[in-house]
Formats: sequence, C-alpha cells, structure tokens
Amino acid sequence: MSDEGLISKKDVLDAAGISYGQLYRWKRKGLIPESWFVRRSTFTGQETFFPRDKILERIRQIVDLKEEHALDDLAQVIRQRVDARLQVHLSRLADLGWVDAKLLDACGAKGGGDRPISLEQAMCLGVLGKLRGKARDEELDLVRATLAKTAGGELLERCKREALILHVARKRIEAAGIAAEISAVFVGPENIILDPELTVAATVDMKAVLEKIQLELV
Amino acid sequence: MSEKKNSASISGSGTIAGGTYERVSISGSGKVTGEVTADEVRISGAGKIEGRTHANRITTSGSASFDADVVAEDEMKVSGSAKVTGDVKAKELKCSGAFRVDGSVSADYVKSSGSLRVGSDLEAEIFRATGGFRIGGLLSADHIEIRLAGHCEATEIGGERIEVHRGGWKERSLIMEGLIRVFSGGGAAELRAQQIEGDDIHLEGTTARVVRGKRISIGPDCDIERVEYTDTLEVHPDASVHEHTKR
Repeated sequence: MSDEGLISKKDVLDAAGISYGQLYRWKRKGLIPESWFVRRSTFTGQETFFPRDKILERIRQIVDLKEEHALDDLAQVIRQRVDARLQVHLSRLADLGWVDAKLLDACGAKGGGDRPISLEQAMCLGVLGKLRGKARDEELDLVRATLAKTAGGELLERCKREALILHVARKRIEAAGIAAEISAVFVGPENIILDPELTVAATVDMKAVLEKIQLELV
Repeated sequence: MSEKKNSASISGSGTIAGGTYERVSISGSGKVTGEVTADEVRISGAGKIEGRTHANRITTSGSASFDADVVAEDEMKVSGSAKVTGDVKAKELKCSGAFRVDGSVSADYVKSSGSLRVGSDLEAEIFRATGGFRIGGLLSADHIEIRLAGHCEATEIGGERIEVHRGGWKERSLIMEGLIRVFSGGGAAELRAQQIEGDDIHLEGTTARVVRGKRISIGPDCDIERVEYTDTLEVHPDASVHEHTKR
C-alpha cells in the first residue's frame, strides 16, 4: 500500500474530530475491521495507520448512524450496507463481461450473480481478470489451480502483509528439431529471480489487486 | 434455557458426556468429554471440560481447565486456578485467583484481583485490576483502573480513561509491601507497556515507550520515553519523561 493512502491514528482523530475513547470503543464493537489497523515502524516505535479513505468514510458512517442505532447494532447495519454494495458491484462486473460462470466457479463462488462473495474469491477474480488477454487459457487454468491450492485465507493474509506478485512465465525448449513451450506460474516477492531462459508473459501485483478490491468494493 | 433439563453432578471422581444441562457441578475430580451448554457450571474440585462451554453462570474455585472457548452470558467467577485454551466471552468476569486464557477475553466488566494472564487481547467496557496481569496484545476498555500490586504488563493499552495508581492502600508499611510482594509472585508493583493511548490518562509506577492522549498526568515513579498530548500535561518531579510534544 502506498504511503499516501495511509493516515496515522493521530491524524484520524484530528480529521474526524473523535477521541481515543471512541476509536477504541468502535474497534471493540467490530465497527472498524482489524485488517485496517496497519502497524508500521516509525522513529517512535510501532505506530498504527489506516487506509485513509476507508477509515474516514467509515467514521462518517458511524457518526451518522449512531444517532438512530444502538452501538451494538451498528456493525450489523454497516455490514448489510457493505454486502449490498458488494452485490451491486458484482452484478455490474458481470454486465461488463469481466466475471463469467467459469471464473466464479473456479474461485469457489458457484452461481455468482447477485450473491456476495468472499474477499478471497473476489481477489481470485481480480487476478484472473487482469490476466485475460495476456495469458493463454491453459495458463489461466494454471493460475486458478495455484490460487485454489492456497485457498482458506492463508493467501489473503499473506497478501495483506507482503507484496506478492504472480508471474506467468514461459520457456521454449528445442531439441533435435522439435520445439515445445511450457508455462509455469510463480507467486513470490517482487524481486524474484528467474532463469534467463524464462520469458515472463504476464505479472499481477496481488497486493494491489486486493487493495483495489477492498477500496472499491468494501 | 426455559425447558426442563437434567443436571449433572460429579462429587467423587467421574466423567460425564457433553450435552445440554440445567446445572453441571464438579466437586471432586471430574471431566466432561465434549461441549457443554448449561444454565450454570460450577467447578470446585479439579474439573476439566474438553469442549466449548456455554453457560449463564460459570463459577470455579478449585482447579479448572477448559479446553475450548468459554462463553458466560451472565457471569464468570474464578477464584482458584483456571485455564482456558481458547477465548473467553462473558458479561462480567471476576477473577480473584490465577486465571490464564490462551486466547482473548471480551467482557462488559472485568475485575481482577488475582493474577490474570491473557494471550492476546482483553476488551471490556470497564477493567479494574488490583493484582498482577499480563496481556499479550491490546488491553482496551472505556475505563481502565489499575491499582498496582505485582507486575502488570500489556503490549498496548487504549481507552477513554486510564488510571494507574500505586498500591491499594493509602499508607502502606514496609511489612505490607513485603507481604504483597510475596503473594503476588515476587514482582515489583509496576506497569509496563509499549504504548498507552487515551483521552484522560493518569499514570504512576509505569514504564512505557509512548503515551498519547488529551489530558495526561505522569505521576511518581514513571519512566516514559515519549509523551504526545493535545490539551494538558503534568509531570511529577519523581517521574522521568524523556520527550514530550503538544499537538
């Protein structure tokens, strides 16, 4: 996540005009997701930062809603709103032809349409969407299989912590007048070193995809 | 839990199966194999519940061990030694013995006068401690009141009002001090934290890297690396604050 997208806790309090007590209370009530608390080392030690737009928007929602709802019910209210938005976006994506049944199926969201899907499934969709037109069909299958292998939240957790890049690479082998090309999928850090005979056909910044989804859909 | 249910009681030594009960009571040495749902769970001997425990009231006074999450809709009272391998959720948690929770604790009201150890976060509306504690993650509550007796430690502390006072007695003799030291496991009466954040903060006997808040008062025997405040800051002559900034 680029640093201009982050805001320190102190600046959140200033910008939103709320107190430490409120922020901690809302965190306890599950109104501010744990994953938004980004810890970074600074010269004063560990400090907490938030994705700027999301936290300010969320606080605005909480301040608006807390007049008419009890604090304990707010999480439910906000979750319903997010779900509703997620569904709208998904059906829009489908309209654009960005999501098809095959993709949804591969990501474990059978049927698709207007049901909400998990963040992990959305990330899988996003990665595959980015590869379309660049990678061959059989390579897309390979990517699907790679992402499916790490399903269960683990990949998602890693994506939140580190910059993971997915590479689709090809290698041409020629011997005795017969040529063949093989494809391989690698998921690793940005500066992964590949042998010189490998040609990278496509790369996807998985962390960027995840952040884009979180920013746009959630 | 309005319909009529069975109660189970072990008073010698025995094992009962998990299930739904009106009341589960263990006063000898007993084991429950599986998940328990009950109005009341009472352990006064050596008891072990191997599954998740869900009750209105849970009371332990012997040595109790819960091998999964514990939910007390109403109250959980620990006065002997108890251990939870999982998370604890309760309306009120009162602990006067030695209580160890591997996961997190979430309650409206937490009162601890024994020794409390929590692996990850402790979240409450009101947190009152007069004994020692160690919280691996964040200690967060609207009101945090700590009367130092023994070693207190949390990685982070956050809330609206945070008050830390030395000793539960106004004037404490050396003998008293020594006794408390013996009973609290030998640790000095102090609080250690990486970070403390709140709107109104009063600290005594506290060592911390950063303290941030609106109105901050740093009392005697504190050693704070950095204080960041917005409204007021008071520092006792017997305290050391290495750096402070007003925003």
